[in-house]
Amino acid sequence: MAWKFGNDCPLWLRTLVIFKAIFLFIKSSKIKSPKYPADSIDRYRDITLVCHLSHFKVDGNSMDSSQTCLMEERQSPNAVDVIDSEEIPDYFVCCICLDLLYKPIVLHCGHISCFWCVHRSMSSRCESRCPICRNPYSHFAGICQMLHFLLLKLYPIAYKKREDQILEEEKRDGYFSPEFNGHACESQADGDLNQTKLVAGEEKVQVSDLLCTACKQLLFHPIVLNCGHVYCQTCIIIPADEMLRCQVCPCLHPKGFPKVCLTLDQFLGAKFPKEYASRRNAVHLKQVSSKHERATTCSMEAGKKNFSPVQLLPFSMQPSAYIHIGVGCDACGMSPIVGDRYKCKDCTEKIGFDLCGDCYNTRPKLPGRFNQRHTPEHKFELIKHNLSGRLRLMTEHLENGSTSFLIFDDASENLENGPLPRALFGDSQDNMEDEDDALSTD
Amino acid sequence: MMIGGGGRSSSSSTTAGGTWVSTTSVSASGKRIQREMSELNADPPSNCSAGPKGDNLYHWVATIIGPPGTPYQGGIFFLDITFPSDYPFKPPKVVFKTRIYHCNVDAAGNLSLDILKDSWSPALTITKVLTAIRSIFTNPDPYNPLISSISRLYLADKAKHNEIAAEWTLRFAK
Repeated sequence: MAWKFGNDCPLWLRTLVIFKAIFLFIKSSKIKSPKYPADSIDRYRDITLVCHLSHFKVDGNSMDSSQTCLMEERQSPNAVDVIDSEEIPDYFVCCICLDLLYKPIVLHCGHISCFWCVHRSMSSRCESRCPICRNPYSHFAGICQMLHFLLLKLYPIAYKKREDQILEEEKRDGYFSPEFNGHACESQADGDLNQTKLVAGEEKVQVSDLLCTACKQLLFHPIVLNCGHVYCQTCIIIPADEMLRCQVCPCLHPKGFPKVCLTLDQFLGAKFPKEYASRRNAVHLKQVSSKHERATTCSMEAGKKNFSPVQLLPFSMQPSAYIHIGVGCDACGMSPIVGDRYKCKDCTEKIGFDLCGDCYNTRPKLPGRFNQRHTPEHKFELIKHNLSGRLRLMTEHLENGSTSFLIFDDASENLENGPLPRALFGDSQDNMEDEDDALSTD
Repeated sequence: MMIGGGGRSSSSSTTAGGTWVSTTSVSASGKRIQREMSELNADPPSNCSAGPKGDNLYHWVATIIGPPGTPYQGGIFFLDITFPSDYPFKPPKVVFKTRIYHCNVDAAGNLSLDILKDSWSPALTITKVLTAIRSIFTNPDPYNPLISSISRLYLADKAKHNEIAAEWTLRFAK
């Protein structure tokens, strides 16, 4: 508003205005977090009314200096943000931390969130639900490395900032998220990483950054599996009576056919309209020309129904299953672990290293989900606990329907400090780790 | 691996999972609340406003103006919002500070709103919560009441109910 004065106003007035602006700026930069320095009820009544006034778009002329100060204060951090970071579109903002996605995980329903946000929002004793669509899921999915490198390329400054910030938190807490340097089975991603380092200055995203793991073409209707690998919807074929398996790593995809990640799909369509359209046409042609293709989609559907019930409904269908509250499998991500749990005796990390029964038997050579230094030489112990009677009782409840299950869970959540859940869960957590039937294997 | 469960693991507070949640989330929740504040300032829902009470970012005060066409029309209703330290993995606590004649709000100002209890999702924000509260002004839920006498009156004689509600609005909220 100072610029309205123009050239025809006297010099002293202009300098005065400039001085006042500097004074206001210094004042506003001194007061940071408490936006409304009011404490008594009367004061807050006034302030909320001020908020109302500004919301109802009262003319700016009536504002006094304190109000303009408030306004500037509010605007200044935004201005700084714009200068030293990139504009992040809404679809790459995590719905939980409301910040740029960091180490993104794509859930079974196709919604994306940060690694730690997903981890923290998961339930420790029953199926977790997607924060956006409430779709239930039982496995902690792996980080989608392709999306991770894409975001790094798109917003190098903001992503780096997030990395520093998260690393600081991780160091403080002693829990670490996976790093991507030659560890995982993804060799392509390593190449990408080197490439990003080489061309750090130029932030061009190319089609080669968004290829399907199977057909090596631009992704069309991308689907992210539990391990974090991305495929076109049409490239995923489920062999009859078998589970969906990733073609790169030996991981099984645990639950049904995942949904298309719409965020990524829309990004592809907007970023590469030409290539995307040609891919769409190619896919349509393929589907029309061969009816055989349709047959495979049918078997896909059939496969979906024929999944082993243990994997589909781990909590309600296994009458004598043990639920290891608060413990997840570091290979497949099942959390909480249902059935046998194998705990590594040699991993020293705070977060621990555990495998579910299936993963213990197949021993996939995968790193831990939290950067644990686990090696195949490490020894495991089988952990069981004698809660089976109580849990059986619980599962009987469950068989009546999922709603009663939810009610049970919620009741226990609400009564967290009460005697019931402590007897059921709280102490059991420690018991099953220390005493009971801890059998040594290997 | 341990699953944090967003503070749900507090029943086993001695284990690593329990302490972990309480230490990390303080700054993370603060950051998120700050982001919500700037979002709310940039694009406030109509007839609603909210902001921190004083220096503490975790205590907010909100106002909702009774929507037109309802017996609460023109009343200014104050609400207290308290964020838990593990927000947004736990819902905020919202309490009416202004007396209101409504079947879903009890005399102490507590609300029966599912998204503030079991149906909470970390993707919900204060903006959405305020919108939801505003919607119970227009559509009370007499089938999940906190005060059953009001819900009974609402179902039996809506005109009488509206008359009392308007009278209360005039008395307490104006």
